[in-house]
Amino acid sequence: MYDYYLGGSHNFAVDRATARAMVAAVPQAPLMAQANRAFLRRAVQFLTDAGIRQFLDIGSGIPTVGNVHEIAQLHAPDSRVVYVDVDPVAVAHSREILAGNDRTAVIQEDLRQPDRILAHPDVRAMLDFSQPMAVLVVAVLHFVSDDDRPAEVLRTLRAALAPGSYLVLSQASDDGRDEAERAEAEEVYRRTDSPLWVRSRAELTGFFDGFELVEPGVVWVPQWRPETPESAEDAERAVFLGGVGRLGG
Amino acid sequence: MGEPPDGQPCAGVFARAWAKAVAGTSYLPMTHAQLELLLQRLTDLLAEALRAEPLDLRVGHKVADELVAAHIVSAEALGRTVEVIQLRLVRDLDLVSDDIEDRMARLLGAVATGYARALRDRTLDEQESIRRAAMTARVEAEQALRASEARFRHQANHDPLTDLPNRTLFAERLAAAVDGSAGSGRRVGLCFLDLDRFKRVNDSFGHQIGDRALVAAAQRLRRAVEPHLVARLGGDAFVVLVERSTGTGDVVAVAEAALAALSEPVVVDGHDVTVTASVGIVERRVAGTSPDDLMRAAGSTLHWAKSAGGAGWALYDAERDGREQARQELSAAIPAGLERGEFFLDYQPLTSLHDGSLLGVEALVRWRHPRLGVLRPDKFIGLAEETGLIVQLGGWVLAEACREAVGWTSTSGQPPYVSVNLAVRQVRRPGLVQEVRSLLRRTGLPPNRLQLEITESTMMTTSEEPVRALRALADLGIRIAIDDFGTGYSNLAYLRDLPVTELKVAGEFVRGLRTPEALADERILASLVSLAHALDLTVTAEGVETGGQAERLRAIGCDAGQGWHFGRPASPDHILARIR
Ligand SMILES: C[S@@+](CC[C@H](N)C(=O)[O-])C[C@H]1O[C@@H](n2cnc3c(N)ncnc32)[C@H](O)[C@@H]1O
Repeated sequence: MYDYYLGGSHNFAVDRATARAMVAAVPQAPLMAQANRAFLRRAVQFLTDAGIRQFLDIGSGIPTVGNVHEIAQLHAPDSRVVYVDVDPVAVAHSREILAGNDRTAVIQEDLRQPDRILAHPDVRAMLDFSQPMAVLVVAVLHFVSDDDRPAEVLRTLRAALAPGSYLVLSQASDDGRDEAERAEAEEVYRRTDSPLWVRSRAELTGFFDGFELVEPGVVWVPQWRPETPESAEDAERAVFLGGVGRLGG
Repeated sequence: MGEPPDGQPCAGVFARAWAKAVAGTSYLPMTHAQLELLLQRLTDLLAEALRAEPLDLRVGHKVADELVAAHIVSAEALGRTVEVIQLRLVRDLDLVSDDIEDRMARLLGAVATGYARALRDRTLDEQESIRRAAMTARVEAEQALRASEARFRHQANHDPLTDLPNRTLFAERLAAAVDGSAGSGRRVGLCFLDLDRFKRVNDSFGHQIGDRALVAAAQRLRRAVEPHLVARLGGDAFVVLVERSTGTGDVVAVAEAALAALSEPVVVDGHDVTVTASVGIVERRVAGTSPDDLMRAAGSTLHWAKSAGGAGWALYDAERDGREQARQELSAAIPAGLERGEFFLDYQPLTSLHDGSLLGVEALVRWRHPRLGVLRPDKFIGLAEETGLIVQLGGWVLAEACREAVGWTSTSGQPPYVSVNLAVRQVRRPGLVQEVRSLLRRTGLPPNRLQLEITESTMMTTSEEPVRALRALADLGIRIAIDDFGTGYSNLAYLRDLPVTELKVAGEFVRGLRTPEALADERILASLVSLAHALDLTVTAEGVETGGQAERLRAIGCDAGQGWHFGRPASPDHILARIR
C-alpha cells in the first residue's frame, strides 16, 4: 500500500482496500508516504555528495520510482546498492527490475537478524566493509517491535561499519499526534498483518547511539534539509521522523 | 527530467504554476526545481504547437507521455494540468490568434487522450510486473517447501551421522521385497553386519574419532555393496538388503565385498583406525518367509560369526538355529517347571570298595517335561548355567536332597550321606553359607550327611570369597568333594589349602582300566590315590562299569566307587530299599 500512496500500481486489491481505509482514518497517509520517499531521496543525494558509494538498503520495499540506486547512480554511476527485504514479492520484483544492473544485488533477509544480512555472500560480494557505506533503514523500524530489540539490531549493524559510514533512519512517530487519530490509525494497521510500532523522537534519537547526527538531527522528514522553505511547512503532518548519523573516526 | 543545463535554469511563470498544481498529487522522484524545469520544457512544446500551422496533435500525446514517464501519474494531476493550461497558458504566454480556442480545445483533448492511454499502459505494466513477482515468489516458496519436505523425508529415513538409510527405510524396503505379490520363485538375502569390538575404538580414540571412523566405514560399505541397499540399524550395526538374489553365492559375494572394503585401515585425524566386521548371512526364497523371520535369522547368524572370533561371515543354518531355539525355549521354561514341580531327584549309590556298603548317594536332577518327557541334566544344566537359572534350580536340588535324605534311616549304623552338585555361580553367591545353614536347621539333616560337590574350576579363582565360604561349610561338618577330578588342571598342590574331604576321579581314568595293557592309566590313578591319601582325602572313582574295574580300583587303594556296576541312578524308594 506504500506504493499505492506513492501513486504506483505495483499493488493488489487488498493493499488498495487497506490503503483506502487508512486514508479515511488518516487523510494525510499518501502525503506521509510521499514525504518519506522524498526524505529518502534527499538523504541519498546528501550521501552521494558526501562521497558515499556503497548503500545497504534494508526494508527497501517494492521499487516503484526513486529507488536508491537510481538516485545514487544518477549522480555517481559507480555507486553499489544492496537491497534487503523480508517480503518475497518485494524481493522477486526487485530482482526483475534490477536484472542487468551489476552494481546492485537483492537478498531476502530480515532486519531482525542483522548477522545473517552482514554475513550474506551477496552482501559481501557487493560491498566492501573496510570502506565507508550507508545503511538505510527507512520506513521500516515501525514494523519492528521492542521485543525484537531494534537498538541491538542497529548496534550490530554499526559494529560492522567502517568509520565515516552513515546510518539513515525514519519511522512513524506519534510525537504530538492527537489521541483519536493515533487510535484510529493503529486500529487500521492492527487489522493488517503489520502492526505499527510508533516511537517518540527521543527513542529514535537513541537509535543513533554511536553515530553523530548530521544537521538538523532527528526531525519530521519534510524538515530534513528541505529544498524549499515552503516544503517544510506543516511538517508534523508527515508523521515520519527521520535523521542521518555519521560514524566518527 | 535530466540535469539543469548550465547557467541559471529558469522556469517561466506558467511552468511554475503548473508545477505547483501537480506537486503532491503523487510521489515525484525529483526536486521541485527539476519538476519546474521539466514542465518548462513541456510548456515550450505546447506553446510551439499552438503557434504552428497545421496544429500537430502528436505534441499533445508527447507531453502526456512525458508527464506519465516522470511519474506524474494521478487523476488529480491530469485534472489540474487541463485546468491550468486552459486557464493560464494562452494568457501567460500571450498566445493570441483567431482560432486559439479551437486549437486549445483540440490540443487539450490530445493531452487528455495521450495521458489516459499512457497511464493505462503504465498501470497495466506495473500490475503485470507485480503479479509476475508474486508468482515468482510463490513458485520459489513452493520450491523451498518441497525442498524442505524432501529434506524432512530424507531425515526421517536416514541416519544423521552416516547419511545411510535408517531402520525405518530398511524395514520398508525389506517388507516390499518380501511382499506376497512377489513372484513365487523370488529369493532375497540379508547381510547383517556388525563391527567387531568397535567400542574399543571409541574408548581408545574418543567418540569423535569413533564417529568419523564409523562414517568412513559406512561410506565404504555403501560403495562396496552398490547397488544394494545398506542401512545403519544403530550403533555399529548395518544391514545389506540383497533383492532378487539368485542363490547363496550372490549374498556371500556381497558379504565378502563388504568385509574387503572394511579391511583397509581408515585414517582419521592421523590415526590409523582398523576395524573388522562380522556378517550374518541369510538367503532364502521370498515365499514362506517374513521380514521378522529374516531379521531374526540374520541376527542369530551374526551371533555365530561373532562367537567364531569375528572378522568373517557365517551362513544361516536352519538345523543349528532350530537346536539353539529349542535350547532357548527349554531354558525359558525352567522357572515355570520349577513352580509346577516338574523337577525331581534320582540318586546313584556311592559304594565302599572295602566292604561294599552304601556310603552315600549322589543326587541327580531330572525334569519331567510336559512335552519332551523326562530330561536328564545334560539337556538343561548347561543352559541353566548360561542363563543364571542354575542358582534357583541348584537351590531347589539342594533343599530337596536334604529334605529327602533326612528321612532315610539305617538299621545298621550310619545312613548314607547325600551328595549334591554345586555350580560355580552358587558357590560364588554371597548368601551360600547362610542358605545351607538354615537348610540344615530346617530339615534337621546332620551336616556330616551332606556332601557338596564342586568342580576344580570353581576353585580356580583369585578371589578369596569362595574359599572362605567352603571353609565355613566344612567347619559346619559338611563334606566337600572335588568332582570330575583329573579333567581340569588337577593341581594337587592347591588342594592342600582347601577344606576338601574327597576327590571324585573322573570316569575317563577308570575306563582305561578295562584293558590289562592300560598300565599307564593305572599308574597315574595309583599315584593320584596315594597322593590324595597323603593329603588325608578319600578317593571315589566315577564311571565304574565292571567288576574287573572295581577289583583293580580296590587293589590300587581307592576308597569308593560310583557307576553302573554299583547301581544306576534310581528313585529314593530304591535307595530306601537298599538300606533296609
Ligand atoms: C514502507 S516500505 C519502505 C520502503 C523504502 N525503504 C522507503 O522508505 O521508501 C517497508 C518495507 O519494509 C519491509 N520490512 C518490514 N519488516 C521488515 C523486516 N523485519 N526486515 C526487512 N524488511 C522488512 C516491508 O516488506 C516493506 O517492503
